[in-house]
Amino acid sequence: MRIAMPHMGNLYIPFKALFQRLDIDFVVPPLNNQRTLSLGVRYSPEGMCIPFKLTLGNLIEAAELGADTLIMPGGSGICRLGYYARIQEQILHDLGYNVEMVQVGVSQRKLVGILALVKRLSNNAPWLKIISAFRFGLSKLNALDRVEQAVQKMRPVEQTGGAANQLYGQAVAAIDQADDDAALRKAEAEYIGRLHRLDKKASVRPLVVGVIGEFYVVLEPFSNLDVEVELGKLGVEVRRTTFISGWTRFSLFLNPLGVNEKDRLHKAARPYLKRDVGGEGWESVGEKVLHAGHYDGLIHLAPFTCMPEIVAQNIMSRTREDIPVLTILCDEQITKTGMLTRLEAFVDLLGRRRRAKQLVGAGCE
Amino acid sequence: MVKIGIPRALLYYQYYPMWKSFFENLGAEVVVSPPTTQAALASGSSRVVADTCLPVKAFLGHVLALADECDYIFIPAIRSMKPKIYTCSKFLGLPDMTRAVIPGCPPILDIDIDMSKSKRKLYQAIYRLGRHFTWGPFKVRRAAVAAWQAYLDYRRMMSSQRLTSVEAIDRLSGPPAIVPVRRAGSHAVERQPEQPPPRMTIAVIGHPYIFYDELISHRIKQRLEQAGCRVLTPQMLTGDELEAATARLVGRAYWTYEEEVVGAGEHYLTGGVDGVIGLMTFGCGPDSLMMDVLKRRAAAAAAPFMSLTVEEHTSDAGIITRLEAFIDMIMIRRRARRAPQTCA
Repeated sequence: MRIAMPHMGNLYIPFKALFQRLDIDFVVPPLNNQRTLSLGVRYSPEGMCIPFKLTLGNLIEAAELGADTLIMPGGSGICRLGYYARIQEQILHDLGYNVEMVQVGVSQRKLVGILALVKRLSNNAPWLKIISAFRFGLSKLNALDRVEQAVQKMRPVEQTGGAANQLYGQAVAAIDQADDDAALRKAEAEYIGRLHRLDKKASVRPLVVGVIGEFYVVLEPFSNLDVEVELGKLGVEVRRTTFISGWTRFSLFLNPLGVNEKDRLHKAARPYLKRDVGGEGWESVGEKVLHAGHYDGLIHLAPFTCMPEIVAQNIMSRTREDIPVLTILCDEQITKTGMLTRLEAFVDLLGRRRRAKQLVGAGCE
Repeated sequence: MVKIGIPRALLYYQYYPMWKSFFENLGAEVVVSPPTTQAALASGSSRVVADTCLPVKAFLGHVLALADECDYIFIPAIRSMKPKIYTCSKFLGLPDMTRAVIPGCPPILDIDIDMSKSKRKLYQAIYRLGRHFTWGPFKVRRAAVAAWQAYLDYRRMMSSQRLTSVEAIDRLSGPPAIVPVRRAGSHAVERQPEQPPPRMTIAVIGHPYIFYDELISHRIKQRLEQAGCRVLTPQMLTGDELEAATARLVGRAYWTYEEEVVGAGEHYLTGGVDGVIGLMTFGCGPDSLMMDVLKRRAAAAAAPFMSLTVEEHTSDAGIITRLEAFIDMIMIRRRARRAPQTCA
């Protein structure tokens, strides 16, 4: 049995750690690239969203590498995502790959479901071993996200362009290679330290932009054409609330105990949107309301034809809370130049807006 | 009398008799917007972002047409009709979205229907809706029971007499009161004199709000009938038939309105009709997947299947050409099948 799963950001690293510790044969398909996208686009229904197309591309590339058991998220009540696995399995079978799709519930029975699945895939390894491996995977995930947060802070203020990104790449590789807790802690501490010690530009207060929107396109840099890196190059600090480690912390452990990190967002969204519309629609509206006061702008990322985000986009443009929002629809047609032009214009606008505010503030005194 | 506006769009075709019965039993008057016009669609489109789906744009056009004509507008937020089978985000967000994009809209009566939750929650939701008209819980209860009965009658009428939604609505309640003006003969289905027996039977699969909306569907039903085809719709099947066919093809349904697409498609693809047309609008999330399921099923069964995607820019001529080609294809196929038999 060879196991594989589609990519979403660095998610393959914690899973690799988990499966390696359990001696499960886990293949990592090539990171998202043009071929992945072309394969996905060629075999997907045309009206599908980019997450479907890219994950299908990953699954095809994994099947080419001999994977026969493919893990896909599933569940009910979560936009089209719950239907992905059914269709993708059919597409793969029609292409002649003899694969089995395994669905992981991401809407209900999360922690228990994932652990039970790992137990099954590992040929009934002892629970102690599974839990220890699972915990190690989670530590890698948390370390990756903490490093990424440090990188987000450094990108706009670094003296030499690209230094933070370079370190980020090395850090990801080091975390991937760490094979015990001590090595992992050492790698994380080393790179976070090195990131903080980078030469900074003198006294800049970068513009702050929140990146919000649909989970997959926010977390998968290939699908959003590295929007965060590009914003960093323009001297903008990116903040985002969506992290995979945040999802695991709350969805797997704290939500069953009644703690919900999203309550704050839902409460903020309620005057405009009273109910969950699936996906991240509700949260997107909430983030706009909540961050209107202290961010300079928001980048709203959504896959083209994403149902929840269309609802959110329609409502977001009418809220009283006033903050510039640039919605970027991600699909296979999006080009880097087109996106850069829009980002530059948006950042110019934000800069002017901040200067105008400062002038008004100064004039009053 | 309190006037309740019901937009003639989206779930109207599924539930209008039920809603009408409920509100009238509570002493309200129900008004329905006129059939979709180009102007209404354009006014709806102008309010939302471009990639919102066509039926929702049309819906907003209907709300705008009703805005000055009624005291309340009824827009339910239907989350699920069966446990753990949910609707598309746009149905869920419909009341909130309407409120956001049409600020001058009359107060919206919204009711959350979620059959995944307890029955008690449903009754509470119905009572909360009824309380806009009366304080008496029994009166609300009576209205709700009558409404449910009206819905069952409506469904039975369609499946037993093979009627379309529009025909059934007309028979049950007479053509609905339309505001503000009614174009003569535009809506009522004209009963034509006895026609020759149909050349072929074609099932058109798709959501009722696409199929029955003459502007969105480009009058596909009438066009097929003019070409001598008998047209069958998903509403002409019983709930059991739909459920069985869905289970056969995909197992448990994932979307609330999956049965009327996947179930009906599977039912008709396995026999009884000469061809199946899948009708969807561009940008429909659930349909993008469900039509793909049907396409694959049709390919496997070697059954004539055509998928039509309509949007604002679709032209009559384009639709006609494709329908003609489809009918020709079926005729050619039929001749080809008959030919070897005569030779033998």
